[in-house]
Amino acid sequence: MQTNLFLAGLILYPAITIAALATSSKAKMFFRQTILWLILLANLMFLVFSVITFISGRTFYITPYQLTASLQFDFAVDRLGAFFMGTTSLVAVSVSCYSLRYVEHSGTDAGKNVMAAITSLFILSMLLVIASANTFSFLFWWEIMSIASFFLVMHERDKSETRKSALFYLIMTQMSTVFLMFGFLAIYAVTGSFNIQPVSGISLPLASAIFLSLFIGFIIKAGVMPFHKWLPYAHSASPSNISALMSGVMIKVAIYGIVRYLMIVFSPVWWWGLIILVFGTFSALLGVIYALKEHDLKKLLAYHSIENIGIILIGIGLYAIFRSYGLQDLATLSLLGGLFHTFNHAMFKSLLFLTAGSVVNATGTRNIEEMGGLLKTMPYTGVLFLVGSVAIAALPPLNGFVSELMIFQSFLQSFTVVGPLLKIVMFAGLALFALTSALAAACFVKAFGIVFLAMPRSEAARKATEVSPYMLFGSAILAVCCIFSGIFSYQIFMALGYNLAIPDMMLIGLLLFIALITVWLAVRVFANRKTRISETWGCGLTSQNSRMEYTASGFSEPILTIFRPVYRTNKWSERWFFDAGNSLFKNGHAAIRTFKLFEEKIYLPVARFVQRFSLYVANLQDVDLDTYILYSFIAIIVLVLTMGWLV
Amino acid sequence: MDFVVYTLINTIFVLLISPLFMSLIKKVKAFVQGRRGPPLLQTYFMMGKLLKKERVYSANTSLVMRITPYIEIIFILVASLSVPLVFIPQPVAGIGNVILFLYLMVVAKFFMALAGLDAGSTFGGMGSSREMTFSAIVEPVVIVAFAAMGLVLKTANLHQMFGISLESALITNPAVLLTSVSLFIILIVETSRIPVDNPETHLELTMIHEAMILEYSGPDLALMEISHAVKQTLLIAIPVNILVPWGLTASPTVPGVLLAMISFALKGSLVAVIIGFFESMFAKSRLFRLPGLFMLALFFSFSTILFELLS
Repeated sequence: MQTNLFLAGLILYPAITIAALATSSKAKMFFRQTILWLILLANLMFLVFSVITFISGRTFYITPYQLTASLQFDFAVDRLGAFFMGTTSLVAVSVSCYSLRYVEHSGTDAGKNVMAAITSLFILSMLLVIASANTFSFLFWWEIMSIASFFLVMHERDKSETRKSALFYLIMTQMSTVFLMFGFLAIYAVTGSFNIQPVSGISLPLASAIFLSLFIGFIIKAGVMPFHKWLPYAHSASPSNISALMSGVMIKVAIYGIVRYLMIVFSPVWWWGLIILVFGTFSALLGVIYALKEHDLKKLLAYHSIENIGIILIGIGLYAIFRSYGLQDLATLSLLGGLFHTFNHAMFKSLLFLTAGSVVNATGTRNIEEMGGLLKTMPYTGVLFLVGSVAIAALPPLNGFVSELMIFQSFLQSFTVVGPLLKIVMFAGLALFALTSALAAACFVKAFGIVFLAMPRSEAARKATEVSPYMLFGSAILAVCCIFSGIFSYQIFMALGYNLAIPDMMLIGLLLFIALITVWLAVRVFANRKTRISETWGCGLTSQNSRMEYTASGFSEPILTIFRPVYRTNKWSERWFFDAGNSLFKNGHAAIRTFKLFEEKIYLPVARFVQRFSLYVANLQDVDLDTYILYSFIAIIVLVLTMGWLV
Repeated sequence: MDFVVYTLINTIFVLLISPLFMSLIKKVKAFVQGRRGPPLLQTYFMMGKLLKKERVYSANTSLVMRITPYIEIIFILVASLSVPLVFIPQPVAGIGNVILFLYLMVVAKFFMALAGLDAGSTFGGMGSSREMTFSAIVEPVVIVAFAAMGLVLKTANLHQMFGISLESALITNPAVLLTSVSLFIILIVETSRIPVDNPETHLELTMIHEAMILEYSGPDLALMEISHAVKQTLLIAIPVNILVPWGLTASPTVPGVLLAMISFALKGSLVAVIIGFFESMFAKSRLFRLPGLFMLALFFSFSTILFELLS
C-alpha cells in the first residue's frame, strides 16, 4: 500500500510536469484545470502515505533507482520524516485547492501552464528531500527544489522588482547548497558512506565544524537572521500560492535537515544548542520588530516567517542543551514544542498567505494603508484571516499558543536543573521570547485591524468582492487544522504516547463554551435588546471619512519610537521661506529613511568585495589563445604536483 | 465535583466583589482630593443602569465590535479560574498554569484592541495602538516576574504557589517581597491606572483603555466594564494571596469559605485603598517615559532571581 502510493506519486508528479510543459504554449483552461486537479490528487496520495507511515511508526524503505553502487536514490521514511512529509503534503493539498482558481486570475495561458508544471515538480522535490536516505539524493532534490522555486518566484518576470528578488534568492540558495555540500563531503570523507545515519568515532572539533557548516547551510535556506534578506523579497514577489508553499513548507525542509542531523546523525554538545538558541532568539525578535514596520502585507507575513523559524530554533536549541545535560523529559518537551510549532506555523502561515493573496487580488495592492473595511465585503476571507492571526499571535485555545506554551514550559522548568550561568542565559532568553510573542500580537492587531476593519481607504478596497469558493475551501482546510490541533493538542500528544505537563485545551475550550452560553443567556434575559445604528463619534464633525481613521504607520509609531535604536530611523526635512525671517513658508521636503542594517553593513560589503575580486579575475581573461594555453599548462602542473603531494 | 463547586464559587464571588474595588479606589481618590465621591455601590448601580440602556453601534463597525464584549468576559472569567480567591481545589488539567493565565488575558486585550480600531475613530485607534505597544513591552516584565516567583516557590502553577504560601509564611521572605513590588507595578500597568493611563478620562493625554471602549454603549459597555473590574481583582489577588494567604482554605467547608470571602474582601479593599493613594500621589507620566517604569519592575524581578541563585 505504502509502496504503491509512494511510487504512484513519484511517477505522477513528473508526468504532470512533462505534460504541462509540453503543452504549455497552447493549452487552454480546461487542460490546465485537469493538471491542477491531478496535482491535488498526487498531494492527497502523499498525504495518505505519510499518515499511514506516521501512525505505523515503522520506517519505510524503497530504492527506485541506482546510478552507481554508491550514488543512488534510496528513500527511508521514519516517523520524523513522515511528520514533515505529512505537513508538506497537507499544506500542498490546500494550496493546490486554492490554486484551482487563483492561477486563473492573472498572466498568459503559457505562463499559467508553466507555473502549474513547476509547482508540481516543486512539491515533489520537497517531499523527496525529506524522504532521502542518503546525501546524494538529498542534495539532488534540494537543488531541484531551489531551482523550481526560483522559476516560480520569476512568475511575474516582466517586473524588475521580481527579477531582482529572484536573482537574490537564487544566489542565497546556492550559498546554502555550498555549505551543505561541504558538510556532506566531510561526512563522506570520515565515514566513507553517503547514507544519512548516526556518525560514530568522529572527533569533537571535526564534528562541530561539520555540524556548523551544515547548520549555516540550513539556516540560509530557512531565512534565519542574518541570512534572512531573501525571504521578504522572494515572498512578496512571487504569487501568493507559491509564497504559501515556500513559507509554509520549503523553509521547514531546512528545519527538517537541522533536526535530522542534530538528533540522529550527531549527538549534540551543549554549546551547539546555545548557538542554535542565540540564532533563534535574535531571529525571532528582530523578525517581529521588522514586521511591525512593514506595510506591505506579504512582506509583513514574510518577516513573521523569520520570527517563527526563530521560535522553532529556540525549541530545537533548548532540546540540544537539555539532551547534552541528560534531562530527557525536558529535552522531549522542548523538541516536541519546536516540532509542533513547525507544524503549526506551516498551517497558519500558509493560511495567512493564501488569504492575503485573496485580499491582494481583490484590491490590487499589497500596501495595507490602501485597504480597510474588507470584513464587510469579503467576510469569509476576513474570518479565515482572523483565525490565522489569532493562531500566529499565540492566543489560546488555538495551536500557536500550545506550541509556544511548550517552549515557555521548558524555559520555566529549566531553572531548577541547569548550572547558574546557563540559568541567567535562560532568563534572558525567556524575557526576549515573551517580548517576541507579545509584539507578534501587536503586529497582528495592526494587520487585521487595518486591512479588515473600519472604512475602506481606497476605491479598490471599497469595490473588493469575495473570492471563489475553491480559494475559500483551500484556506478553510488550514483554518480547521489550526483550530483542531490547538483544542485537541493534549489528546493528540497522549495518543502519540507523550504524556506532557501541558494544560488540556479541550477543557479550556469547554469552559469557554459554557461561559459563552451562560453569559449570552444572561445578557439575553436581563439586558435591553434594543439596538441602534448610528455614526462614529467624531468630536462633533458631522461626516466621517477614511482619512480620519488611524493608519498602519500611526498604529506602529509608538513601537517604532521605543525601538528606534534597532531601526535607526533618520528623519530629514528641509524648508524654504519667502522672507529672511523664516515666517512665510514657501516649500519643503521631508523624508523618513530606515537604515537597512543587514543590507548596508553585511550584504553590500560582501557583494562589493566579490565584484572587485571578479573584476580582477576578469583581467586575466581578456587575452589571446597562447595565454590560455599557458593557463592550462600551469593548471596541469599544479594539479600533478598537488596530487603527488597528497598521495 | 470539587472542581465544579470551585468554578461556581470562584466565578460568582469574583463577579460580585470586583465592582466594589472599583468604587473603593474612586472613593479613596475623592477623599484625597477633598470630595465626598460616589457611594461604594456606585459601580453596581452603573452596571444595572447600563444593562437597561440600548446598544448603539457605528455604521462602520463589523462583526468584531459585536462579539468582543462576549470574548472579553468569557476569557477573563476562564482566566479567573487560575486564581483561587477563597479555596484551592484539587489539581485539574493545567488550570492555574501561569502562561495559560496570562495568555487568556492577552486574548481579551487582542480583541479589545481590534474593537478599538473597528469604528474607524481616531480615539479608538490611538487607544489600540498604545495598548498593544505597552502590553508588548510589559509582557517580558510580567513573565520574568512570574518566572522569578516560580523560581522561589519551585512551581509555575498559581494554585500550587498559593498552596505553598499557605504552608509557609512568605511575607518574611525577601525574594518574594521583591517580586511583589514588580507584581504591584504590573497591576498598575495592566489595569490602566495613573501614571500609565488615567481611568477617569479618555482625553488625548491618556487615551488608552477608555479610548478603546469609547464606542461601546449599553449592555456591551457593562460587559467590558465588568471584565476590566474582574481583571483588576485577579491581579490584586495574586500578590495578596501569595504574601498574606490568611483565610484562604484548602477544603470547601461552608464556614471556611465564608471566612475566606470576608478575609479576601478585607485584604483586597486594603490593596484598593493603597492603589487609590498611589494614584493620588502621582501625575500621569509622559508616554515614552513609561518603559522606565517597566524597567524598574524588571529590575526587581531580576534582583529576585540573582538573590535566589546566590543564596
